[in-house]
Amino acid sequence: MTQLTSDHIDYIIKDLNYRGIVADGVQDELIDHVCAAVEDEMNHNIRFIDAYHHVLKSFGHTAGLRETQKEILETENKTTRLMLKNYFTIAFRNLKKQRFYTLINILGLAIGIASCLVILLYVTHEMSYDKHHTDADRIYRINCEIKFGDNHLKLAVAPAPLADAMRTDFPEVEHAARFWSDGSMLIKRADQNIKETEVIYADSSVFNVFTIPFVQGNPKQVLQDPYTMVISQKAAAKYFPNENPIGQTLIVENKDNYKITGVYEDMPVTGHFHFDMMLALVSTDYNKDPNWLSNNFSTYIKLRPGADYKALEAKFPKTIDTYAGPQAKQALGSDFTMEKFRASGNKLEWTLMPLTDIHLHSDLTAELGINSNIAYVYLFGAIALFILAIACINFMNLSTARSSNRAKEVGVRKVMGSLRSHLVRQFLTESILLSVFSFFVALAVAWMVLPSFNLLAGKDLFLPFDKGIFWGGLAAGALVVGLLAGLYPSFFLSAFRPVNVLKGNLSLGMKSGLIRSSLVVFQFSISIILIIGTISVNRQLGFIQNTKIGFNKDQVIVIKDAYGMGDQVQSFKDEVLKDNRILSGTISGFLPVSGTNRNDNTHWPEGTQPTEENMVALQCWRVDYDYIKTLGMKIKIGREFSNEFPSDSGAVILNEAAQKIFGFTTDPIGKKISTFSGDRSGVIDREHPKSFPVIGIVENFHFESLKQNITPLALFLDKSIGLVSFRFQAKDSQEVIATIEKNWKALAPGMPFNYSFLDEDFGRMYAAEQRLGKIFFIFAGLAIIIACLGLFALTAFTAEQRTKEIGIRKVLGASVSSIVVLLSKEFGKLIFIAFIIAAPLAWYGVDWWLKNYTYKAEIGVMVYLLAGVFAFVIAWLTMGYQSVRAASSDPVKSLRSE
Amino acid sequence: MHSPELLKGTLQTILLKVLKDHGKMYGYEITQRVKELSDSRLLLTEGALYPSLHRLEAEGLLKTETVMMGKRVRKYYTLTTSGRSLAKDRVEELVDFIKTMSNVLQVKLA
Repeated sequence: MTQLTSDHIDYIIKDLNYRGIVADGVQDELIDHVCAAVEDEMNHNIRFIDAYHHVLKSFGHTAGLRETQKEILETENKTTRLMLKNYFTIAFRNLKKQRFYTLINILGLAIGIASCLVILLYVTHEMSYDKHHTDADRIYRINCEIKFGDNHLKLAVAPAPLADAMRTDFPEVEHAARFWSDGSMLIKRADQNIKETEVIYADSSVFNVFTIPFVQGNPKQVLQDPYTMVISQKAAAKYFPNENPIGQTLIVENKDNYKITGVYEDMPVTGHFHFDMMLALVSTDYNKDPNWLSNNFSTYIKLRPGADYKALEAKFPKTIDTYAGPQAKQALGSDFTMEKFRASGNKLEWTLMPLTDIHLHSDLTAELGINSNIAYVYLFGAIALFILAIACINFMNLSTARSSNRAKEVGVRKVMGSLRSHLVRQFLTESILLSVFSFFVALAVAWMVLPSFNLLAGKDLFLPFDKGIFWGGLAAGALVVGLLAGLYPSFFLSAFRPVNVLKGNLSLGMKSGLIRSSLVVFQFSISIILIIGTISVNRQLGFIQNTKIGFNKDQVIVIKDAYGMGDQVQSFKDEVLKDNRILSGTISGFLPVSGTNRNDNTHWPEGTQPTEENMVALQCWRVDYDYIKTLGMKIKIGREFSNEFPSDSGAVILNEAAQKIFGFTTDPIGKKISTFSGDRSGVIDREHPKSFPVIGIVENFHFESLKQNITPLALFLDKSIGLVSFRFQAKDSQEVIATIEKNWKALAPGMPFNYSFLDEDFGRMYAAEQRLGKIFFIFAGLAIIIACLGLFALTAFTAEQRTKEIGIRKVLGASVSSIVVLLSKEFGKLIFIAFIIAAPLAWYGVDWWLKNYTYKAEIGVMVYLLAGVFAFVIAWLTMGYQSVRAASSDPVKSLRSE
Repeated sequence: MHSPELLKGTLQTILLKVLKDHGKMYGYEITQRVKELSDSRLLLTEGALYPSLHRLEAEGLLKTETVMMGKRVRKYYTLTTSGRSLAKDRVEELVDFIKTMSNVLQVKLA
């Protein structure tokens, strides 16, 4: 076996090098191959030099050797893994080299993505309501719409007998169930009453319709017997800590004993109802209420698989004729027919609402809870997209603006044989890398701000770190954002012609700016729209707070659940009034804030026949002598109720709206209004109407949200002991509360003392608006911050580009201020254009939102100008720093090298 | 001598199989081994061999190991786990192909 000598090997290495075999990883291998082959030949007694040339010949001499080397290199370059590694290395180097711009990009993108992430969580949460029920797609609620005379009611409730009729009359209905709410109730185990708000009466069949998992007890058997109840785990822990609640008893409203027969898992927040206690509906008289004209029951049906709910809905008018028709006839006279009723524009209609639509699409009277609104979901979704778009645009703008710095790189790469696709891939790698990095930062940011957002939005959202789909979504999102942001720059940059670039006559940067300018305009348009939105929402909120509401909501304390005291209410009021800090007090469950009692009854002017034309749906509030005085309403004509007139118990005070609709325009005092006498069961006595003389007219006051008109209202002197309100002197509200509580404890031992202030109750009616205002404020702020980050970088870049120009200008005598103006003029123009575009769009949006309100703030031109000026000032401050820095630099430095 | 055209589609299979049978080998060794097995009727050209080896390495089917031998550096190739299973598949595939070819061409193999 011949071994090559060291000299031989040196010779081979040199010769192969000379022939051009130099590539790493190829050279060594080929040398070894040649050596081995030469050794082999020499074994056959061939001279070294002959053997070597023989081997070279088998390679195809120099050309063959080089061809082999080239093929190996090409194979390696085609290999994606290596190429990717290359892309990554270069991307990293570039990002690191341009630290400032990378930082701005990542910061902007991360803020954008974090907002997007948080909003996305919110939106998915909103969309997930009621999906936890098996067969949620087959469950429907029956809504009821009534239009009769001036009444127009859209109810989430239906007549009591309807559920049974559904089951018996329609084979496609598999199950039907009802809830009946009696408001909040006092519950006690022994002697301490607790006010429970989430209590409901329910049919036993609710467990056939809904999926409510039980911890103890059998859902198939509970709530069938009167005076039984089931409670949630939460309630069980509250009333029976460490005890078995099954078989125990709770006392409802101080009188009825309910036996607990089951405990269910706490209802998820993503449901449109979450009851803590469910009482057997069979315990109440209303259960068997035969009245088809009164609507009090939240009624749900589950259809059989494959049944078409629209087809079922089409059968309802006939059912209405069959059941409700005769009862209506009884009430309204013998000439009543359903045909005539409908022909004169009236309406009695039942419709089906899919269960999963309720949370976002239902805002009817008598909902089981407060629902959300699909408009907010759309609005927030749009804001999220806009913010993300603004952040992506930053990236695009910075990449294209800085293109001149990379033009040479592109040129050299192209000359070296790079294809355009390679360059596109290179730039996309950079943007995706940046996007992935931003996503990590965004995740951290979202995690940090989520608690504050939850507080703001009243939600309990969390990042689902344990879900694969979440990570998958994030990865996909990072890829998509990276692609979106990188697509335009990569095509833009890779399109350079190497000849032009390398010759140096492609002055890129500021000139190729049409698209960039439009993108800046787009960013600022959106920012301005959001600013206008914020100001408008806050204006409207301010308007609501300051508008003349017709009563004095300040310095009034409202004591709740006074009905628990029964007849002692009056003495409670008298006792409290003995304190000289309390100015006056009134006992009435009816207050001019939503959430208190309402009672609607039909009246007409005395002396006429009640017809559909002259019947008025009148809010009838039962109040006492001191009501108007305590709440600070104003009597316009006549007088308020007074002890001195015993006949006042049969008299009425109307508001201006009622005065107008009854037609009592001149001298209303002494005119009378009539109503049917009848009882609560709905049996109406047409023959003996009751009449009330008007003794006063009270100025209109708002008693519902300002979204609604002031409707006709009448005050009657009658007992209504739900709430006791006191007007007190401005200072010492804490002491006032203490005094009242002391009296309460004395007269109502064992009853919870709940109170609130009227102005707070009033403010609560606008919680959604306040929330909207805050969220708008935050996201508008974020949008403008991101947009300004971009502008900051763009100006920095422009200044850098124009260093020499600025230097020359200064040498020729330009002042600092003129250079600052020069630098900011261009972007100033863009912001002005953005304002022109944004103003009409914002006007349209604000107008659309304000349509919800009958009483709305004037959003004047000033608001728009203010938003424009604000955007301009912010932008100018951003640019100003860079401009001033550039303008005040020493021209000697920038021009020295020329 | 067989035509290089015929060799083209089967080169990878040959490399995988030879490496599977002999474990660790270097480039020249492979050419010699194939030459020996084919009675000098199959000659692997360096221009085909090395690009193929590098491609297989990049695809993760081969792994390499370099040994310093004085001034020379020798690069050994071995199959990875996935390379080993692929070698088996490829050989089966080729045998199948040969059978099909014999049917198509209407010739009996010895």
